[in-house]
Amino acid sequence: MGLTADERWDIIDAITQRTVGTGTYRRTLGDALGDLTIQPLTGIPVALGVLYAFWSIFGSFAGSLVTDGFMVKLFDSSWLPWLQAAWPNPDSILYYLFVGDPAADNCFEAFGALTSGLFVAIGVVLPAVLIFYLMMTVLEDSGYLPRLAVLMDTVLHKIGLHGYAIVPAILGLGCNVPAVTATRILETRKQRFIMMSLLAIFIPCGAQLGVMLEVIPETVGLVMLYLIIGFGIFGFVLDRLIPGSNPEILIDVPPYRWPAWENVTRKLWSRTKGFLKEAVPFVLLGVLIVNVLYLTGVIAALADLFAPLFVTWFGVPKETVGPLVAGFLRKDLAVAQLSTIAMTPYQMITSVVLVSIYFPCVATFVVMLREGWRELLAAIAVLIAVVFIYGGLIHAIGILMGVA
Amino acid sequence: MKEQSNNTTTILMVGNPNVGKSALFNRLTGANAVVSNYPGTTVDYTAGTLIEDHRTYEIIDVPGTYSLKPRDAAEMVAVRMLDEHRDATVLVVLDATKIERGLYLALEVFERGIPCIVALNMTDAAHDKQIAVDAAGLQRILGVPVIATTAISGEGVKHLADMIRKAQAADISAIRSRLNGQEQNRRSMAGCGGCSGCGGCR
Amino acid sequence: MNKNVSVFSLFIGLLGLATLASGLADILVWAGADPGFSIGILEIAGDDFFRWAWGGAIVAFGGLFMLAGLKNTDDLQQSATVLLGAAMVWIIAGTDIFARFCESVPAGEEAPEFFNSLSGFLAGFAPPYPPAILLLPFTLVVAYVLFTRRFDEAEPPSTADFPNRL
Repeated sequence: MGLTADERWDIIDAITQRTVGTGTYRRTLGDALGDLTIQPLTGIPVALGVLYAFWSIFGSFAGSLVTDGFMVKLFDSSWLPWLQAAWPNPDSILYYLFVGDPAADNCFEAFGALTSGLFVAIGVVLPAVLIFYLMMTVLEDSGYLPRLAVLMDTVLHKIGLHGYAIVPAILGLGCNVPAVTATRILETRKQRFIMMSLLAIFIPCGAQLGVMLEVIPETVGLVMLYLIIGFGIFGFVLDRLIPGSNPEILIDVPPYRWPAWENVTRKLWSRTKGFLKEAVPFVLLGVLIVNVLYLTGVIAALADLFAPLFVTWFGVPKETVGPLVAGFLRKDLAVAQLSTIAMTPYQMITSVVLVSIYFPCVATFVVMLREGWRELLAAIAVLIAVVFIYGGLIHAIGILMGVA
Repeated sequence: MKEQSNNTTTILMVGNPNVGKSALFNRLTGANAVVSNYPGTTVDYTAGTLIEDHRTYEIIDVPGTYSLKPRDAAEMVAVRMLDEHRDATVLVVLDATKIERGLYLALEVFERGIPCIVALNMTDAAHDKQIAVDAAGLQRILGVPVIATTAISGEGVKHLADMIRKAQAADISAIRSRLNGQEQNRRSMAGCGGCSGCGGCR
Repeated sequence: MNKNVSVFSLFIGLLGLATLASGLADILVWAGADPGFSIGILEIAGDDFFRWAWGGAIVAFGGLFMLAGLKNTDDLQQSATVLLGAAMVWIIAGTDIFARFCESVPAGEEAPEFFNSLSGFLAGFAPPYPPAILLLPFTLVVAYVLFTRRFDEAEPPSTADFPNRL
């Protein structure tokens, strides 16, 4: 004990003099490429390209290949008919809870825990999560992620975060559960709180994006734009409202390297396993709970209770309350049900925006709770405020434009 | 890891961020690694086991740090882990391309008088960058085993696992006198079977 | 050598222009200048924002990078810029090919079986192609030339001083 920093550096100098030899260093093409991906002029287009590749591969693999190509067929033409035939007594409560609608011809609309629940968990979410984590790990291990963080650092500091906040933000577009966990790379409680609130409110998860694509395909771009603007504005406001510091961090940029296959598979496995353990039980349980709530009339009662608020403040029909409440547990249910309610196009946009900025699903809720209940309560407060302001604003704009 | 059985040694892997610590960790441990959240913090660490030559080692991948004077949550955890595992062996991981920065941390660890072993990692990258590090020379000066490794390809990892049991506490004043050119009388370490691993008996 | 370089520069210049033009064309078709543009084996469907507006912008940037790196291609930094431009085209072409692959492996929705037949699978890769795929072979030539070229002679690593390498 007790060496000063200078003494240590003296020793280090002496050691390296004896043991380290350097040749003339030759800059390689890889180094030059590495620099180009950090300079904003070239780096930002590259970042756009990488994100494009990310989402394109994600959509092709999870959407076209696994879910639409195999899972839909497997669940709808094999699993569902078999279960409907094999489960006794279609009028029983258990049938309603686990199999759902006896007349349904696809697993998306059956709403039973073993039909919709299992289909969403295994057919839709699992392939999405797998390819998502694979690409995330490759980006990480190749050394691109730190570069993206450096690139985004200046912008994100304006909303009280730092460059690495880009990681939970991208993760959140897939699923909020790992994203909330990923806020751990932020330094202070303030930063983590800001990021969690913004994640919950403005970053639509894969299921929410699915909702939008299903219900309002032609205005998704517009909705996303509103959400991104909201992300910036509310981040800026929260940064000023919340006490705490927003420290600079050292981002260490490693050289580009080929990811080691074993490392990637190992990380992929541990992340996917973590997801399966944390999120999938909630999907199954959530479907079950919502079905119970429907059966016992709780959702209908809530719909009556909140109806005046929804009708006068948000300007959407009373029937939307049920799906919105249920959306807390099952975002997929919210989509399917919203699409069956008779609404004007503008009301539809309003309710879809409400579903997306509205509270995250129960799985996210639980991981946020694990990060600290005070943060969770504060995040809920922020969320309610945002939903009210935003929902009212959209309604007001609608009235002004004469379409609501 | 609180209740250690007699034949389990705890190994703390300490190093700067991005020196390939995790890759080396994955090379050393089997498929049984567990990612845990350090209590009361936001920092994750990984722990796994290595069984080598009938000994069981519990290996903990300590979050990357630049010094033991913590400046952020991850560094704080690194220091706390060193404090908690006083009887552990420390595996210091150096990046051969940025050896000065890593040696600073290594010296801080040495000052604590804990048994240490050094992995000189990223030797492939060093080779590409025309940097040559004399591992044996480093071992002679530091007086602890220094093993060159390339975690990405697995080079030297087996050798490192073999050498973990030869880890020993470094002596800063001895390092200084060796640097000043004074060759001390090399005394054999207690229990040393003449392995040439440590530099103490050459 | 000098002549080779100028031929190579000319090639990159033309390729950069073609790339920039196809990127802009992607965006224009999407914006509604022409509903689904098609000549021979070239097709710009322009039907969705993500692929044609966003993806088109990536292609256009790729073209710009190639043009930006055009001057003095002997220089390392300039070569890297050209290579980056080529890589932008690879992103779009690669994801397009991957998308075709993912759509061709499963049989269609109506078909009873799960896997597509071989001929059905291959049919998924038939023309027409988007511009990025047509540009792909040319950008690969650029990459090949850049990778095989040596920028300057460097000394081998001076490890000989230390005989004790592992």
